[in-house]
Amino acid sequence: MGNNNTPLTDSDVYDAIVVGAGLGGLSAALKLANEGARVLLLEQHNLPGGFATSFVRGRFEFEVSLHELSDVGPPDKKGAVRRFLEDEVKVDASFLPVPEAYHLIFPGEGINIKIPFGVDNFINTIAEAVPGSREPLTRYMTVCQEVARALSFIGSAKGPPDMGVLMEKYPSFITTAGYTVEEVTKTFNLPSKALQMIYPYWCYLGVPVSRISFTIFAVMLYSYISKGAYIPQYTSHGLTTAMDRRIRELGSETRYNTRVEKILVENGRTIGVETHRGERFKTPFVIANLSPHLVYGTLIHPHSAVPEAAKKTTNARKLGTSAFVVYLGLDRPPEALNIESYGYFIGPGMDTEKAYTNFFNLDPQEMQAVICLNKANPDCSPPGTTILSSTTLLGPEVWNNVTAENYVQTKNRIAKGIVEQMSRYLNTPLAEHIEEIEIATPQTFARYTGAFKGVMYGYEQDPWDSVVARSVAESAEKYIKGLEFAGGFASMGHGYAPSMISGRAAAASVLHKLRQLHAAQAQPEKRRDE
Amino acid sequence: MEVHGFNEDMARMFELTTRRAEAISRAPAALDSTDPINGLVRRLHAAEIRLVLKVVTEETSTTRTYRFEPAPRSSGLPLFRAGQYLSLKVSVNGVKITRPYSLSAAPFEARSFYELTIRRKDGGFLTEYIWKNWREGIVVEASGPHGTFYHDPLRDSGTVVALAGGSGITPFRSMIREIAAGQSGVNMILIYGSRCADDIIFKNELDLLAAQAPQKIRVIHVLSEPDNEWQGRTGFIDAALIREETGSVNGKSFFICGPPVMYTFCTDQLSSLAVPPRLIRRELAGSVDDISADPGFPAAVKGKQFTIRVRYRGKSMILPAAATETVLTALEKGSLEPESQCRSGECGFCRALVLSGEVFFRPEGDGRRAADRKCGFFHPCSSYPLTDLELLIP
Repeated sequence: MGNNNTPLTDSDVYDAIVVGAGLGGLSAALKLANEGARVLLLEQHNLPGGFATSFVRGRFEFEVSLHELSDVGPPDKKGAVRRFLEDEVKVDASFLPVPEAYHLIFPGEGINIKIPFGVDNFINTIAEAVPGSREPLTRYMTVCQEVARALSFIGSAKGPPDMGVLMEKYPSFITTAGYTVEEVTKTFNLPSKALQMIYPYWCYLGVPVSRISFTIFAVMLYSYISKGAYIPQYTSHGLTTAMDRRIRELGSETRYNTRVEKILVENGRTIGVETHRGERFKTPFVIANLSPHLVYGTLIHPHSAVPEAAKKTTNARKLGTSAFVVYLGLDRPPEALNIESYGYFIGPGMDTEKAYTNFFNLDPQEMQAVICLNKANPDCSPPGTTILSSTTLLGPEVWNNVTAENYVQTKNRIAKGIVEQMSRYLNTPLAEHIEEIEIATPQTFARYTGAFKGVMYGYEQDPWDSVVARSVAESAEKYIKGLEFAGGFASMGHGYAPSMISGRAAAASVLHKLRQLHAAQAQPEKRRDE
Repeated sequence: MEVHGFNEDMARMFELTTRRAEAISRAPAALDSTDPINGLVRRLHAAEIRLVLKVVTEETSTTRTYRFEPAPRSSGLPLFRAGQYLSLKVSVNGVKITRPYSLSAAPFEARSFYELTIRRKDGGFLTEYIWKNWREGIVVEASGPHGTFYHDPLRDSGTVVALAGGSGITPFRSMIREIAAGQSGVNMILIYGSRCADDIIFKNELDLLAAQAPQKIRVIHVLSEPDNEWQGRTGFIDAALIREETGSVNGKSFFICGPPVMYTFCTDQLSSLAVPPRLIRRELAGSVDDISADPGFPAAVKGKQFTIRVRYRGKSMILPAAATETVLTALEKGSLEPESQCRSGECGFCRALVLSGEVFFRPEGDGRRAADRKCGFFHPCSSYPLTDLELLIP
């Protein structure tokens, strides 16, 4: 094994090194290994998955962060995630469908409604509840569909997309790309009650509708509603363990409990990495399943190799939210607890501005996303029990002033408020049935994933930093040769599906350059760019 | 669709690039990497701490309390929750091993010190070493505090009935010191079983704290082998005794810590009193002294030796393993220095993959995730080889 003092041996040289075994890193390593590259995946924790994992307390196994996975699709109408995992890299993943899109309980607005998957069902349900919404909502969903299709066209194009095709086939993608959700949506004159039923997925983006890019919202909404949502049968740990196993079957290796402390750069390009044990591994390509904040701020070695433009770009971006999650293992079945749905959004109403402002205080958030895992996976806990979790979002700096001395009291106080509120909205005495409880704070997420400031939601997608703007800027913003990003902080944005797709894309880019490199080595007279 | 007319919409799209460039040019050039969130994580959940031994107190003829302060040049002691443990990392005769021990002083005392209270076992690999070698001034390595055996106000009752056996008193001593200092809202009834009067750890201290705060702390000693002078309760901590001492079990939480046999026995007794499972908490099962005495252990392999072929961090090794020693012990004896913490099968820190062969573990020692069960992962700290093994520690 190499270290500072011993010369590197061939066994320490890799085609690519992936730093971080979150979904982005796992997907990148899978794609690389699947196409014959020699890849090493390094992870600081002792498990794969990053945020996509599970934990055990007593007789319960809890999902850490997943609510519902988009872009899986049913087996006969596969989405990008299922195609990648099952068809391309042959991962033995098994998914269970989520029964409904969401159940909204906004008592102050007189809303208690279950919104189904399927575009027609979605429109019909909202149209029946809100007179006058059918026609504008139908047009709205058509626009969302066009935007979603445009983005997959762009994703499948090799190189920059053909503007002519975009303009002809998907004009709404172009005409909406510069706007926020609110700017686009208000031109449809949807009744405000209908908006409350359309906006809830904003919770998975964490930026209010007045600022979030329409593109990403439209893609997400359409993807969920048209293809449904899924969860891995054996929790996210089952998914990431299956990915890890497949990497091994393909002849590559993941090393856990191994924290990369340096990404070594020479003459403006990556040459290897160094771990916390001082091991050095050599490679021309590094895929970082990490935030640019960490990579440019602390990992690139020497630090002088980080161009000023990289620091300014990173500083310009706004860190997304972290989360506060209360996990409950309850000693009664869902039906005895008045829990009928898999996913609830509960709160005073869908005022995204107000909810966002509340991310920045230390009170229990009024807007909660509540998940009952048993409603999609009845076997997830022992008979007669229920797994319930509540997620609220928190601004990245809000927990800065929590101290070691008041940390436990702070989280318990907030969790207590959340459990009380959940009990009230769901009309069920949860406190009397808690057999296991665990609470995750930004510190908890930081502890296990190493994420900068415990951030879960990557960078905020204002239009200027949306998936569209990022993709356009991507080649100009490659500040260090050989370095790619994958995962929630990469250009596709956060979430399970975008992280996997970004990992796959980073690997594709590296494979392309590896082939050029090999071709150049085979024909030394050719010029070597990369 | 058009939002504000085609021309303006196009302009808005092209503006994305200029708006991005402007945002970048306005941004400061120095990247601020300070991260208070991860900073607090390092304080609360230090992966490794170094402690210097300051005071050794003889508690009983077989039990000592070791008081530690942070070693020179290390940061302060991480705070913890009463009931949590440290995983000691000790090199014994050249073999680096871990052992979990409950912190026996109160959390607020971590501002200046930690205490570990350890009972010597005859033939105990680590405890005999400790008795011989631990003197004031030595430096000890450990993990930060871990574990889930603490009172949670959202789950547990405000009245806790603590059922302790032998050295299982240690987490409760931490809780009682916290209660006595007014740092916890919990009331505790401690029912503490020992073999004989001389074996009772912290007897004077516990009785004194109970006398000072009788409304918050009650201590009942129970001896299984009392001499003629003993005036207190005798026998085992059974349903009748629990009912008499607690008045009513209703609405009370029960915390159990003691030798393995006590968990099964007391859990059964509590079930017979109709205490709902959610109000019963058990400390880590701990390592088993003699696995061959377990009813599920296949008698045929007792006394057998096996071979473990293991891959770890890019290296391959072949190690001997006894059927009655855990796989983790075999890995430690092979100088692999594998990661581990709870040594009870719960935390999953030592998680490894069986590529071929079979292992035995007790159901209590199976804290695996569902997918790990399905995919052949196991927890070496609570598992015993039944055949030759081929393992991967990922």
